[in-house]
Amino acid sequence: MNPRKVAVVGIGGIFPSCSNIDEFGSKMFADKSLIREWPEAMRHGKKMRSTVSGYTSLEECGLEEVPSSLLVNYPEIFKDKFNRIPIENLSTADLGSIWAMLGTQDAIKMSGWTEKEVRSEHTGVVIGSGAGGKEVSRKSWHNFFELEKKTRYLGSHNVDRVMVYRDAANVSCLIQSKGVCECIGSACATGLGNIGYAYRLISFGLQDRIIAGGIEGTSMESFIGFDAMQVLSRGFEPEKSSRPFDIDRNGFVCSFGAGIVALEAYDIAKARGAKILAVIDNYFNNSDGSGDMFAPSIEGQQRLWNGLLGNNRDRLFPDVVKVHGTSTPLGDAIELFSVVNYLGDNGYHISAPKSQFGHMLGAAGAVEFVLAVLMLKEQKLSPCLNSDRLNEQPETFQREADWPGTKEPVAAFRHLLPLQTVAKEINRIVCLNYGFGSTNSAVALSRDL
Amino acid sequence: MTREEAKDKIVEILKTVHTINPERLKNITEKTDFITDLGAPSTELVNIVAKAEEKFSIEFEDDDIDDIGSTMGDTIDLVLKYVNKKQPAL
Repeated sequence: MNPRKVAVVGIGGIFPSCSNIDEFGSKMFADKSLIREWPEAMRHGKKMRSTVSGYTSLEECGLEEVPSSLLVNYPEIFKDKFNRIPIENLSTADLGSIWAMLGTQDAIKMSGWTEKEVRSEHTGVVIGSGAGGKEVSRKSWHNFFELEKKTRYLGSHNVDRVMVYRDAANVSCLIQSKGVCECIGSACATGLGNIGYAYRLISFGLQDRIIAGGIEGTSMESFIGFDAMQVLSRGFEPEKSSRPFDIDRNGFVCSFGAGIVALEAYDIAKARGAKILAVIDNYFNNSDGSGDMFAPSIEGQQRLWNGLLGNNRDRLFPDVVKVHGTSTPLGDAIELFSVVNYLGDNGYHISAPKSQFGHMLGAAGAVEFVLAVLMLKEQKLSPCLNSDRLNEQPETFQREADWPGTKEPVAAFRHLLPLQTVAKEINRIVCLNYGFGSTNSAVALSRDL
Repeated sequence: MTREEAKDKIVEILKTVHTINPERLKNITEKTDFITDLGAPSTELVNIVAKAEEKFSIEFEDDDIDDIGSTMGDTIDLVLKYVNKKQPAL
């Protein structure tokens, strides 16, 4: 069968320092940074190298932790101060899963789906996370192993609050969908990977509607792991810490959040008169095959572009490339040169959303996809904030004999990297995300014209 | 400890079980079933039992927990079996 077109009909999520998606959009296009000093990291003093993050406190998302009377420092449940989520669903959820449910409620409301449509066997849920559940796990295992507490003191919800696909499971139980319910994991490409997988399920005719996205619940463990690798930004004021492409960049900002989208077979959405926020033209993913867990590969990224656009390069040529752009020294330069290698150096702009809210790990691709949809709606592209000074000399790897890309330095592409929001006609956007394990994901989306 | 005193303390426990609507805790009898009458998910039973251990400063054997029913009377029976064990013979 011919692949079906897929429409984006709803978006939602949890965004650092924002109370809702409207505030998120207005801050993004006002060139604001959502990055702050994180008290939870600062509390650990000199044990931590980096202490800045894009995070959302419990108070800010209207939640309250109810401690267990049986265990030490264990959250028995998170209560919703605004009664958005039924208590039965809260009891099976960790923080990230609650964010997934809140984002889903917003996306479904925007989609206009009826209860019958939501509770259909043609409606699925595909949501993943990079890690998460760790805050519950850490406290569980501390009580059992160190404090010698009985297993039953954990209650019955330890498993459902930490299992790998807890976000998808909790959302599916909340909305009572009857189709596919699973998660895709691909490190920092997880958010886009889940949306891409959902796109394929609809495109291939296996589902008509899917709630998809990526979540990264607040977790000191995730932060500590990257801090240990010495890959987090340090030495800048919080709002200056994430600086993709800037010559002084020295690492990414570890952040947390959630991005959720409601996808629907285009013809079905159109027939019911839905507002089409965007159309997904294609999704493609691959691996570098370099054998390197961490280092990016221009060769792998070129194959990614070819797989995404192929013979449709001219038809789907993007007005905006939403890059992964983490603010790490090697990754940003290779990604920029890879984009230039494939598209040339004019006719588009680059947007680097992590410059404004940091790297949300498993949520990154989904939150940045949500932002791309907002770019189509507002006809504005968010900037490469803090890319103040670009390297005017070639990178070391550009001097190697077998380097296949441009010999021009990063500074030669200043015109592609706006320091401020740009208002212009935006009809097509390509979103790129990569993850440890040399995995690459890309999606092409467009305005419904 | 009397059965009525045990029941009152168990009701206090039930008030801390978040999936039980407090409105349903009026007019509790020994026949009240936590699942069918109070609407608690069956997974909450172990939570109620664990909280009873804390409330009454007792520790149940696993065999007794495996066999426990879901009514207030069942829970009172189990609690008193252990509370009475603790009390010295007069």
